[in-house]
Amino acid sequence: MNLVTSMILRRMRTPFILLISAYNIAILGLILIPGVDDQGNPLHMSIFHAFYFVSFTATTIGFGEIPYPLSEAQRLWAVFSIYFLVIAWLYAIGKILTLVQDPHFKAAVTSSRFRKNVRSLHEPFYLVCGLGETGYEVVTALTEEHYRAVVIENNPGNLNEIRLNEMREFVPNIIGDASDAKQLEHAGIKHPKCKGVIAVTSSDEINLKIALSSKLLHPDVKVVCRSELKEYEENMLSFGTDQIVNPFETFATIFQMVMHSPSLYLIYDWLTGAPHTKLSDPIYFRYGHWILCGYGRFGKQLYQLLIDEDIDVTVIDPSIDVRDEFEHHHVDHKENFIVGTGIDEKTLKKAGIETSAGIIAGSDNDSNNLSIIMTARAINPDVFAVARQNIYNNYDLYSATKANLIMRPREITARKIRAVFLNPLLVDFLKTAKSHDEEWANISISRMSAVIGNHNPHIWTVDITDSVSPAVTEALNLGRNIYLGHITQDPASRYLKLKCVPLLHVRGEEKIMMPEEDTDIHIGDKLLFCGTREVKNSMDWTLKVMSSLNYVMTFKNEPESYAWRILHRYLHKTERRKTQR
Amino acid sequence: MNLEKVVFSFFMILALTLNFGFFVGDVDDPAHHNVYELYAVLIVNLIATVMKFGDRSQLGAMLLATSLVAVVQLISSTIVWTVAVHVHETGLTPGVMSTIVSLSGGAMLANIISVILLMIEAAMLRH
Repeated sequence: MNLVTSMILRRMRTPFILLISAYNIAILGLILIPGVDDQGNPLHMSIFHAFYFVSFTATTIGFGEIPYPLSEAQRLWAVFSIYFLVIAWLYAIGKILTLVQDPHFKAAVTSSRFRKNVRSLHEPFYLVCGLGETGYEVVTALTEEHYRAVVIENNPGNLNEIRLNEMREFVPNIIGDASDAKQLEHAGIKHPKCKGVIAVTSSDEINLKIALSSKLLHPDVKVVCRSELKEYEENMLSFGTDQIVNPFETFATIFQMVMHSPSLYLIYDWLTGAPHTKLSDPIYFRYGHWILCGYGRFGKQLYQLLIDEDIDVTVIDPSIDVRDEFEHHHVDHKENFIVGTGIDEKTLKKAGIETSAGIIAGSDNDSNNLSIIMTARAINPDVFAVARQNIYNNYDLYSATKANLIMRPREITARKIRAVFLNPLLVDFLKTAKSHDEEWANISISRMSAVIGNHNPHIWTVDITDSVSPAVTEALNLGRNIYLGHITQDPASRYLKLKCVPLLHVRGEEKIMMPEEDTDIHIGDKLLFCGTREVKNSMDWTLKVMSSLNYVMTFKNEPESYAWRILHRYLHKTERRKTQR
Repeated sequence: MNLEKVVFSFFMILALTLNFGFFVGDVDDPAHHNVYELYAVLIVNLIATVMKFGDRSQLGAMLLATSLVAVVQLISSTIVWTVAVHVHETGLTPGVMSTIVSLSGGAMLANIISVILLMIEAAMLRH
């Protein structure tokens, strides 16, 4: 028996017994007290008539004195019984209403409905723990691609039903503690269709616990965690967490890209961007003197990157302890430390803002960061500004500062998770892209912008397998040669190519960046494409429908129906005979 | 001694004894089967059923099931009685009477199982 029915039954025990007893007493009274029939003969009510009379009086319907007018003694009894029967009913109804209002009962109902929803999932799904802004971004991306997601969030304030209802797929969700293994089990961690766990709660400790329980309960599941602190990260890796997203470290690599290769950064930005966003413009890094405000874990990383490039950096931080630490670690640059917050003109001028190439507002206080950017820009409008955003609600304020580069932890995390789950090949592509030079990046950029133009970019992976591309595998099994050019051919017209760029071709361990059209395709290959959503849909025709594939290979419309095929063969034969003669 | 257990067992055994009282006698003779006794059997069985609500153990589920069987049988037999006497007004012919009594006999079997389960539970608790 499930918890909800058992709860109802247990609570209704007393009211039901009370009702049965009340009915019993009323019926017995009516049977025992003598009455008269319409001829005036003495008569006892039968059990059936007594039950009938009690049923309509108890529920206050009151049909009257049926079957014969009651005797005075019966009326007296009826008066008593009406009162206690109505009270018994009210008590029973009141009990039901209190039960329905009971928070424990409500929780039991929600939880059992949630479990039922999770159990009935028949498609692959991902378990998202924590529904902050990252969580929403991830769930949106997954449902956009028609994957299912299950959500656990511990703060009822974050669980916005309206926002979840806007998702393309129904998202089962529950308020609960995701670090509790029982809760994870209810959310389907052991479900055979559970493909991955995404731990993006605001606490590293909870994320760690989620990763640990997930790996113990379902070892095959792919686990991705957000972690901002090194020690948790190492712990997570120790038991096989598949991917750890540290927004600070990821931003450091982004910053490095911006310094070395603006085109590479642009590739990263385009390919990992949220669905339905337009292409952004390139950012050009400025070399020269830099100012770094806020020397915390964020500032330290960027400082190291800058001095590695032999860039002259002045650090501003309000804490004396931080100055001592800085002087201890960087003895050579001792004089480059100013105590202050950097929000006032005086400190900034002292640091040399008038002639600076760039400024980093990297404190953990949003008002200070915004103020630093505004003040710096007022003195030196051309300064390259890097801002660190801490609180999500300040998104628009940061956008309004027009800083060249904004570090948004949640966006960075969401981008990475999207790539890891939806297009794992993209992670490989970006990793390999870093080792290529600026010229390669420039050529790639121009190829991509040529096919995407003003549309929203879309990245997709094609597996040459029976389930994803049945037509291609069938043709390959028949011994036909298929080249990449066939797949990128428009199945609707022989004169057009699909507007897409093949980014990566993977066969086993072998990875080829930007494969050429004459690359031959084998079963089991994986391909990564960049283009638009419409192009992806066109490509699906070639991959899935034999006649479309035949068309792109031969540019002939093959007959599809049985009768037409016979006719075609007949015509074909006569044609051939003619040529033989 | 647990008062809840006393009340619980009391109703279950009373359900069986009353049921037996109604059941004994010639199967088709209305003089051997009292309508008030059938009424009492039904009421006591209903109370016994409600008392078994909400027990999540395996034994509790079995007890509830046997009681539900008894109640269904008894309600059927009272409906037969009511229909014969009040709706068709054929009265208690031997055919009708034997239907009513055999239905209550089925209910008695369920009540016997119920009491056996109760005894098993008691025996298990002593160990």
